[in-house]
Amino acid sequence: MRDLFRFLFRQRNNLLFLGLMALSLFLLVNGNMHQRAQAISSSNALVGQIYAWRQEVTEYADLRKVNRDLAVALARERDRRFRSLDGTDSVQTARDTAGVARYTFVTAQVINSTTHKERNYITLGSGALAGIRPDMGVIGMGGVVGIVRDVSPRFALVTSVLSDEYRISVQLKRTGHFGLLSWDTDDPRTASMTDVANHVPVAPGDTVVTRGNDGIFPPGITVGTVTEVNEDPGSNFHDIRLKLSEDLTRTAYVHVVVDLFKAERDTLEAKVGRP
Amino acid sequence: MITLVRNHILGFLLLVLLQALVLDHLDLAHGWVVPYLYVLFIIALPFDTPPWATLVIGFVLGLTMDFFSSTPGMHAGACTLMAYARLFMLRILAPRDGYDIIKRPNVRDMGLTWFMTFAGVLILVHHLWLFFVEVYRFDDFLSTLLRALMSAVATLLLCLLAQALTSGGVRPR
Repeated sequence: MRDLFRFLFRQRNNLLFLGLMALSLFLLVNGNMHQRAQAISSSNALVGQIYAWRQEVTEYADLRKVNRDLAVALARERDRRFRSLDGTDSVQTARDTAGVARYTFVTAQVINSTTHKERNYITLGSGALAGIRPDMGVIGMGGVVGIVRDVSPRFALVTSVLSDEYRISVQLKRTGHFGLLSWDTDDPRTASMTDVANHVPVAPGDTVVTRGNDGIFPPGITVGTVTEVNEDPGSNFHDIRLKLSEDLTRTAYVHVVVDLFKAERDTLEAKVGRP
Repeated sequence: MITLVRNHILGFLLLVLLQALVLDHLDLAHGWVVPYLYVLFIIALPFDTPPWATLVIGFVLGLTMDFFSSTPGMHAGACTLMAYARLFMLRILAPRDGYDIIKRPNVRDMGLTWFMTFAGVLILVHHLWLFFVEVYRFDDFLSTLLRALMSAVATLLLCLLAQALTSGGVRPR
């Protein structure tokens, strides 16, 4: 017995190393698998506050760009309202077929973001108190930004589209064909659209929008424009490269999509056991 | 002793904030170069830091960075591994008659060659672990390796720069 204690005492540093390493790996695996149960993130109150201070300092540098984006967004909104009078418009996307409001948007400020890591996250300066919940879509002034992963009372952590963590369901606006958005280019300006079959007539310049079937994004939100279509002879699918319409390196304000029918839809789908 | 502890706590906060608020937001060479200067804290610990303390400090430093970058366990693992490697490097690079505990592991006290070897190996261990855990797969092995190497060079240069800028300061005893 004493030999055992002596052995443990002699190996204490190696054992400590193994223990800490095991703890790190546990956090690593756990944090990636159970996305909800993640305490170590920048939606933590102290870290969120520090990022909020940083944002207060740096936001001045981006004011010009923010102003221009807001002006553009305002103009687009006005345009929609006028067009919706003759019923041909895309504002229908925000309403269901009976004309009842389907989505509302919570405006939030981006207080921290990365764009050059393998998986990029964005921290928002609003959280559960503003009505933000996990799994809500996030759109910028230009287009899709990401999906809320975790919230605290005052902050929210968003998984950016610049991540391999999930695939957003998108469609070609012109032809209506579906596909998935995946970020495999390692470049914050571009992404790929996968799972579009070879027979689909897709050409550079086509607009790609959200499909809106997942209850996260409304249909018809701009994602980007096709820049390149490559044919891989061994594959049944196009290899489509997109230019993202949102410049994620400069996103300053975003809208979080609140789907007012989500609870109803989830209850219905849970009945038949759909995921 | 109290000054020493206070200076290290200040240094810890300074390096973590510098990393989280400034360096993490640099977009150098389209994300191919990401310097992680905060590891300088582990490199510059005093020679007589007990091994267990080196390991614990490494883990805590990494975990703090994890809070900022929302990557549970990623930096913690890399820093623990680096702290462990530091114990070996200190043994390998020890002068014949042991370390003079008045000296600190920096360029001025130990010389450029010693420091470059010591810091270079530790940074490499940290970056290789970090970048490979970050991509989570081995299929683009070469590009990940290249990113880790280029970033390691940038981190080492920043460490040298940081030491050149601070070595004129007061040295705690």
